[in-house]
Amino acid sequence: MTATRIDRGSTDTTAIYSDGGDLIFERTFDAPIEKVWKAFTDPEAVPHWWGKHGTTTIVTEMDVRPGGKWRYISRAADRDDVEFYGEYLEVDPPHGFKWTFMFDVDGVGPMGGPETHVLEDVGGKTKVTSTWHMGSVEVLEGALSTGMVEGALETWDRLAALLAAG
Amino acid sequence: MMNTDPLSTTFAALADPTRRAILARLAVGEATVSELAAPFDMSLPGISKHLKVLQRAGLIEQGRQAQWRPCRLAPEPLREVAGWVEQYRRHWEESFERLSDYLGDLQDQQRPKGDDDDSDQDRQG
Repeated sequence: MTATRIDRGSTDTTAIYSDGGDLIFERTFDAPIEKVWKAFTDPEAVPHWWGKHGTTTIVTEMDVRPGGKWRYISRAADRDDVEFYGEYLEVDPPHGFKWTFMFDVDGVGPMGGPETHVLEDVGGKTKVTSTWHMGSVEVLEGALSTGMVEGALETWDRLAALLAAG
Repeated sequence: MMNTDPLSTTFAALADPTRRAILARLAVGEATVSELAAPFDMSLPGISKHLKVLQRAGLIEQGRQAQWRPCRLAPEPLREVAGWVEQYRRHWEESFERLSDYLGDLQDQQRPKGDDDDSDQDRQG
């Protein structure tokens, strides 16, 4: 099996790439591994950082052990609440955990999949590798095809509007 | 009814380079099956097979006229898929940004402790 690593819009601080059917986020944090572990697994810490800018996270359930459930509500001023939820599959403090990351899409049902978060001590700093196991290469490739995700869609939006008007 | 969920169907439809090329062609305007087949070294039945997959995924629509049945792009499922993946990507990109700030704040709150870093209960838990 030869998987290929393809950049998917890395930033200055975070490497974002796909490898086979996985989407991977990698960043080194200037903090000891125990602190980072706590940030990921302490219900009091999670709302301080989890979610996009401008969102508030409410932890309603968080049972950090294999088989334990988790549920976060993500709140933002400009939209309805979104719930993320799942189950812890593997827990290995402070080296990482694996859980299912799910959310409901209107008219589709539950979507998502397993995520693995690996924490590594790198000379006092902590490297976090978060991997979304999205599925097959084809699935990920299809979703992230160059031009599909970015510019082309706007073109298609305009086209759709034009067609609708015609 | 299909067993697979609509997004999987869309993903599968997008996985093929020929089908992506067909969509790219349709993005600039509707086209007949033979017009779509022209750039590819492919028979009409071959192209029709691809079109059927795209149609099942709701990515294209085909006109009703029996002979001249132009295909056109239906961007909705595509927007949904791309939007979904992009949301996810941004979720972690921005969460990591915030996590870095949060961890930085924690470090600031703490006085430097010399060379003892075995303390497993450095904050109230």
